[in-house]
Amino acid sequence: MTALPEGIEPEVPVPGYPNTWTHTPAQPLLPRPAGRTEMAGPVRLHRKLVPGAVNLAEATPGRPAIGQLMQIGGRILDEAGRPVAGAVVELWQANAAGRYAHANDGSAAPLDPNFTGHGRALTDEDGRYAFTTIKPGAYAVPVQETWWRPPHLHFSVHGPSCLSRLVTQMYFPGEPLNALDRILNAIPDGAARSRMIARFLPPPSVGDFFLGFTHDIVLRGRHATPEA
Amino acid sequence: MFPTSQQTIGPFFPAEFFGPADHDLTRVSAEAAPTRRGEAILLRGRVTRQGGLPCVNAVLELWQADAAGRFAGDADADPDFLFWGRARTDGDGRYAFRTVLPGRFADQLGPRASHANVTLLGSGLMRRVLTTLFFPRAAEELAADPVLALVPSGRRPLLLADPAGEEDGLRVFRFDIRLRGTDETPFFAV
Ligand SMILES: [Fe+2]
Repeated sequence: MTALPEGIEPEVPVPGYPNTWTHTPAQPLLPRPAGRTEMAGPVRLHRKLVPGAVNLAEATPGRPAIGQLMQIGGRILDEAGRPVAGAVVELWQANAAGRYAHANDGSAAPLDPNFTGHGRALTDEDGRYAFTTIKPGAYAVPVQETWWRPPHLHFSVHGPSCLSRLVTQMYFPGEPLNALDRILNAIPDGAARSRMIARFLPPPSVGDFFLGFTHDIVLRGRHATPEA
Repeated sequence: MFPTSQQTIGPFFPAEFFGPADHDLTRVSAEAAPTRRGEAILLRGRVTRQGGLPCVNAVLELWQADAAGRFAGDADADPDFLFWGRARTDGDGRYAFRTVLPGRFADQLGPRASHANVTLLGSGLMRRVLTTLFFPRAAEELAADPVLALVPSGRRPLLLADPAGEEDGLRVFRFDIRLRGTDETPFFAV
């Protein structure tokens, strides 16, 4: 595999996020050439990771989640810009109050029973995915020197090989907290950071009921064997 | 195009994303019957971080060849094997997979010993980490493996899964992952 240009991947430790030190290997990573096993992956993973829950904002039919309803979609691409069809895309996020529907979230912010907070999609022939959700709220990270996460979406993407597996986060344009976020700014390269920020769609192109954002995600694994 | 940057999976990866058979590579879906090819085994272990403390709520993804050493997409690959599974660690850092003993094969790197690959994701891990575990087979098979040979010889035993008895008639193998500190697991760049 060709090495990535400098500055695209996040640096550790992240100040104020002690886990980035305790969990990150101290020894240098061992370089290895990619053989068959590194290029391999599952076939039709959607049989196991079943997609379908692409509307996070209506856990109860007829009762929309609290917050600004929005549509988020885009394309999953490879490094050559080709669409990745059949990719499993997992999305999870906080609700409008900045609270996750997760046992580990000890925040006092309220849960929303009409917001599921997670969804799973399968990309089409053009590599497209789409979810209906709400814009998440910001939340404070409960460490000694509290800092705030800007509104963001978490994405987990399964491409055709295990080389193209990606877990990332997406941010919103114009958020003042973006410049202060320690996780976004752990990425040294400014251009790489700006690629993590979604594009706002003009309201007339989305309609009267939703905000619209678009966000493309590029997976590694240019040399991966195409899926049979 | 440049690949999208990685970010940590964080502490809130949804529990709902784990299906009842996700940790079972021998089934292609939750409803499918397990493959009949090869020897079904259990792979278990514990993930720890600096200080030997358990790494809780981590996500492990396992991928490997089928029992005959073939991969998804090969014409003669096992159609009832998924080649991939996912598990998470419990409050003590423990994980478990059900899979088959992977077959050996040869590729452009050379003769590969029986092995499985792990991606580990966790809160605080800003990038995923990757390692490869080797099943205890003939010493010459291990000695010839070109990837194990990349590991400094003193650290190679850290990549060997240990036999750990039997359960429900299946052989159990144990592979512990130490993210940082004493006897740190060797991790690979790709
Ligand atoms: Fe988050």
